[in-house]
Amino acid sequence: MGYLEGFAITWRKFARGFVGDDIVTTEYSAGTRSGRHDEKRPKPERFHGRHVLNRYEDGMEKCIGCELCAGVCPARCIYVRGRDNDPADPTSPGERYGYVYEINYLRCIHCDLCVEACPTEAITESKLFEFSFTSREDAIYTKDELVVGDDGRPKRLPWEDWRVGDDEFTSGWVRATAPQGSAAYENRVAWSGELGYGVRAPEAGQASESATVVPGSHGHGHDHAHDGGHH
Amino acid sequence: MSDIETPVTVRITVDGQPVDARPGELVIDAAERAGVYIPRFCYHPRMKPVGMCRMCLVEIDAGRGAALQPSCMIPVSPDMTVVTDSERTRKAQEGVLEFLLINHPLDCPVCDKGGECPLQDQTVAYGPGESRFVEEKRHYEKPIPISGLVQLDRERCILCDRCTRFAKDVAGDPLIHFQGRGSSTEVNTFPDEPFSSYFSGNTVQICPVGALTASSYRFRARPWDLEETSSTCRTCSVGCSVTVQSSRNEVLRQNGVDNDAVNWGWLCDRGRFDMESGRSDVRLTDPLVGGTTARWSDALGAAVAAIRATIEAHGPSSVALLGGARLTNEAAYAWARLAKGVIGTDDVDCQLGDGLPADLVLGLPRATIADACTPKGTIVLVGPDVKEELPVLYLRLRHAVVEDGATLVELGHGRTGLSRYAARTSYAHPGGDLVERARLVAKDLDESGPITVVFGRTSLAEDPAVLAEVAAIFLAKGARFLPALRRGNVFGALDAGLAPGLLPGRRLLDDAGPATAVWGSTPAAIGRDATAILTAAAAGEVKVLLLVGADPVADGPDRALAETALERATVIAVDTFLTESGTRADVVLPAAGPSEVDGTVTNLEGRVQRVNRKVTPPGTARPDWMIAVELADRLGVEFPQDPDALLAELGAVADGYADVASALDRNPDGVLVTGACPLPATPTARRAPAPSGSTLRLVLTDSLYDAATQTAQSPSLAPLAPGTVARLNPADASALRVEAGTVVSLASARGAVDLPVVVDDGVPAGAVAVAANQPDCQVNRLLDATWPVTDVRLEVRR
Repeated sequence: MGYLEGFAITWRKFARGFVGDDIVTTEYSAGTRSGRHDEKRPKPERFHGRHVLNRYEDGMEKCIGCELCAGVCPARCIYVRGRDNDPADPTSPGERYGYVYEINYLRCIHCDLCVEACPTEAITESKLFEFSFTSREDAIYTKDELVVGDDGRPKRLPWEDWRVGDDEFTSGWVRATAPQGSAAYENRVAWSGELGYGVRAPEAGQASESATVVPGSHGHGHDHAHDGGHH
Repeated sequence: MSDIETPVTVRITVDGQPVDARPGELVIDAAERAGVYIPRFCYHPRMKPVGMCRMCLVEIDAGRGAALQPSCMIPVSPDMTVVTDSERTRKAQEGVLEFLLINHPLDCPVCDKGGECPLQDQTVAYGPGESRFVEEKRHYEKPIPISGLVQLDRERCILCDRCTRFAKDVAGDPLIHFQGRGSSTEVNTFPDEPFSSYFSGNTVQICPVGALTASSYRFRARPWDLEETSSTCRTCSVGCSVTVQSSRNEVLRQNGVDNDAVNWGWLCDRGRFDMESGRSDVRLTDPLVGGTTARWSDALGAAVAAIRATIEAHGPSSVALLGGARLTNEAAYAWARLAKGVIGTDDVDCQLGDGLPADLVLGLPRATIADACTPKGTIVLVGPDVKEELPVLYLRLRHAVVEDGATLVELGHGRTGLSRYAARTSYAHPGGDLVERARLVAKDLDESGPITVVFGRTSLAEDPAVLAEVAAIFLAKGARFLPALRRGNVFGALDAGLAPGLLPGRRLLDDAGPATAVWGSTPAAIGRDATAILTAAAAGEVKVLLLVGADPVADGPDRALAETALERATVIAVDTFLTESGTRADVVLPAAGPSEVDGTVTNLEGRVQRVNRKVTPPGTARPDWMIAVELADRLGVEFPQDPDALLAELGAVADGYADVASALDRNPDGVLVTGACPLPATPTARRAPAPSGSTLRLVLTDSLYDAATQTAQSPSLAPLAPGTVARLNPADASALRVEAGTVVSLASARGAVDLPVVVDDGVPAGAVAVAANQPDCQVNRLLDATWPVTDVRLEVRR
């Protein structure tokens, strides 16, 4: 007899879906009932969408080709190879840059461990998840496709459905609340500046007195938390 | 290391458990054998301890109370108590690591060592977790190339003294050293003097941080990308144990593995870095027939048609095989059976006229490297410059002399890399009194200890029959011999029978043994050696020439002869690259390279070791054994179809190889194959004409970096070839009025080459020493392989 009691909840919820506003699932678009099928709902700030590779304010790439993202990736969908920077025309600060960077989106599970592992905030995730491909080649994003454009915004590929806001808050700023996990750093801004955005302001709860917030300055110069990554 | 096993042990206590240590053993070693790992940076089991890093501090009580002492500096003593996990030890380890990390940049994400770094690993395991250092770290220019192969990052260095100790104590090339004092101490080279040691790659391998990195591996992969397999280096005949590491089907790195019998963990730079050639863009990937790409079936068909037609028209001895010294034992055996058992020719030679007679090599009582390095023994060096040709053997012999009190006596035609360690050197004029000098040296030898003769060609421009006479002199003294032939698996090829008059298992043709039964037939008459084969081919007697990993044009002693021979004969070449000889071939078959095949190799001691496949060959290239098996199949004989089966068949026909496969499984360090063929009667060397006043006698030597295919195709190594120079004794230089740098022409009756002069008092008067097979100069144009010596006229180029 016991299991019928369980079904009672199912039936109650089902019935209330017709009469009340007690609907817990949300529709993908803004809603069929309102007729706004083509409008996307706003996504949470820390949503895990398609990756971007960020650049510093001076245009240098943040990726140093260290392969920590590839090493941590549980789906093994990232392939990175490093190479020596040309001292006369470096791609990234320091000795090494990411020469090959590929993410296979047929495998990626958007767990964000790559973002956690990245020592330079080079890889972060945008809000975009509406992208589909018709070939395996398109599914494997190359470095050219992942790295942000000269305005600091993600490149928009033909098969991606970018809307207003999808490319906001894509940077490391979003996640970097207190990377050291130490109370001593609680009020410090510990992220580097970015092409197109400068050094972002602290989040709610963080003190804004931090002297390191200088929009438009060379971001990596302030980056004490990541001394090793660039010099 | 000359640790002699003695039954006496010293009982000590490590972390409460009783441990039986060897007398004189260091606490750090005794603890490790008992399963207690004491962290360390500077200590290396193959080098003398210095106690630099202080990481191995543990509490040691030798009867006067427990105190923190460096366990790498303290030998065990009876009833010693060692505590490695106490609070005091822990505090000391944390303190040492915090100090070491003060100036360490922590750039692990860009550092090649990150992921396999002892500093990283031990910081996680023993470190404090927090640093109190908030000041600016020191900064240096980085990375600075201290040689063509090694880059130095001084910021990362923790001053453990491993690389500098290696350079000074192990390699004997003290070219890097500590400079400065206190916190500005750094490791560096001397001004304007690069770290141009042949062994520089070892410092990269033993560096406990990422201060020394290899140019060839720099940023190519991270340690977690790499897959590895154990194998054996095939660059020279020492047979160093290596681990081959690859990523994405590309060999990226080769590191030494400590094999107590052979290399002690060391490698030479040529052996370490010539794996670069495997990923070359110009590897042969498809067969060529008449210079154009062909399908395997067509190429094999063309080869077989040529062989079959020639045998039918002119008999089996119109087909000859040169090479095989670069193959695995299995492939060498397959080719030997193909030539001797299927085609029926005995005109087979794995050496190119630059080695020693095969029956002499296999007939002399063989020594092992350990025999040669016996403490207080005597080493007689009659042969090439071991440092140039067999570099890791040089390290072992040097250690025996410097550390273990062995006596080195050197006979030859001028100074070599080992001369400075020799108790006695005796340099003969080429073609002159080497035999007489050998007699004098032999008379004075200390016969209380073992005598080992390291034995090879003293000059490629001289008749090797002289060396047979020298060998006989030392044989009478009860000496054993370590033959110093250089090509990778030349000893495996000789054991497989790739030499005239020989069959597998060091048997002579007239004592065929089981080979007759397995093969069906063996050649009736003793065939020609390499020089005779090329001469016969030039004369039109040998119609088809099989070149198996051999390049007689560039790599042989007589270029003109090889060119004529290859011109006239139908040439079937099997190689990894299109060599100078390959471009003259009618059929070229692409072969798999060193890390692309499974099998075994045999080193100069007769030690069989495994080589393992790590990557797939490029294009359609096939393993050498498979090509021989395919050719045999088309000639109507079925061979065993894989390396294991070939090794089993080699074991069936060659006594020493009978149980090698199972013995190798039990003993990965290698299995010694013993036994010798009957020693040939000592031939009388053709007497060289007396030197005339107007000519100099040529001494042709080898240098480590030359135009050999793999070296020349390795981007890191190719620029290191020193180039050819004419080295002259100062007396001759002043008599001829030439100075260092003067470009002279050396002319023999055969040809002439232009070279700059280097004045060198290590060259005997009346001789001129020239390195063979350098990329910029075809010295082998000067030689005629039939001459007992080569005399050259020297003229100054204006």
